[in-house]
Amino acid sequence: MNPEEVAAAPSVVRWFDSARLHSDTDDEKQLRLTLLGGFCDHYGQSPDELAAGLTRTTKAGESAISAKRRAAVDAAIDEFVEKSGFTGRDAVVNGNMIRSFLVHNGIFIQGRAWRG
Amino acid sequence: MEFKQVLGNRRSIRYFEPDKPVEKEKIQTMLEAANRASRSGNIDYWKALVVYRDDLDAETLDALRVPTTTADLDLAPVQIYFFADCSYADPANFRKNLKELVTLGALNPSHGWSDAYVDENVVGQIITPMLSDPAVVGWMGTIETGLAISSAMLTAVDEGLGCCLHAVNMETAKQVFKYPDHWIPCWTLLVGYPAEDPLTGGQRPRRSISSLAFMNNLDTPFEEDPAVTEKLKAQGLIQNEIDADKRAAEVRQLARRFGLPE
Repeated sequence: MNPEEVAAAPSVVRWFDSARLHSDTDDEKQLRLTLLGGFCDHYGQSPDELAAGLTRTTKAGESAISAKRRAAVDAAIDEFVEKSGFTGRDAVVNGNMIRSFLVHNGIFIQGRAWRG
Repeated sequence: MEFKQVLGNRRSIRYFEPDKPVEKEKIQTMLEAANRASRSGNIDYWKALVVYRDDLDAETLDALRVPTTTADLDLAPVQIYFFADCSYADPANFRKNLKELVTLGALNPSHGWSDAYVDENVVGQIITPMLSDPAVVGWMGTIETGLAISSAMLTAVDEGLGCCLHAVNMETAKQVFKYPDHWIPCWTLLVGYPAEDPLTGGQRPRRSISSLAFMNNLDTPFEEDPAVTEKLKAQGLIQNEIDADKRAAEVRQLARRFGLPE
């Protein structure tokens, strides 16, 4: 997916609004969109499908996060970051940039911290 | 630090200086404070396991992560696992400690306590029935351990440290640390020097005590005396509420520093 397609997705609009990313530089915005687009290609889902696919409906009819699917996506993020050739701080930062998209779409997920 | 200031300054710290060593002396001070906490029957309910993050191999640290505690394990140099040791559920242990309290005069005839009562009646009448209910055994141990944890946390603040209670993967913890089956895992306290403003721009919101506490009956809220409130503000126990905008800016800066999601 190209950055323009990614930016148009409602889940990405939600991400930018919630994380207050509109004030970022154009380069920063482009980096986020390119990374997410690359991950979506890697995972074979659009941003909206990715976010929606991590929730399930409970027997009581309420929305909940699928722990199994979240773990799978978490592992896929690490895999994507490695496949993309990122190492060290870049690997942590770029993986967590994708996780930020999920976080702001209601998916509770944490990444590792970079300790330097 | 003054006691009320310590109470007022405590925050749940989520960003630690990951590579600033925490002195063992300070951990010992926290544990001594835990050991001074109120405890029914003077029983050693609480147990603690202190683990320095860098003494764990990377594989173990990874296996301790859970979705709610991932980055925190990278950032906190020290983990303290608190347990409720249910060996007190043995009436003989309970009696031994009560006996000691009677001998030392902490439990007194003025309040009905005697060697004879402890030797002859207390087990059959009170302790055995009480400890036959697993819910009571669990309640006693965890609430008494909670008191110890609270003392340790406040002492951490007094020592200039930050801390936050977390749940980690206790299946891994059980395998790695091999704690006994009769120890109930309570909380894992992550400890380190705060990387965030230790006061985080203000206290988390608290509802007024008049909405939480009552006087004489449950129809009568406990009314705060404004003069007392002002005194407590001056003493640092009651502080301004957190400024969300300032906090958001701080969190963003910390997220960038540690490469975390923004």
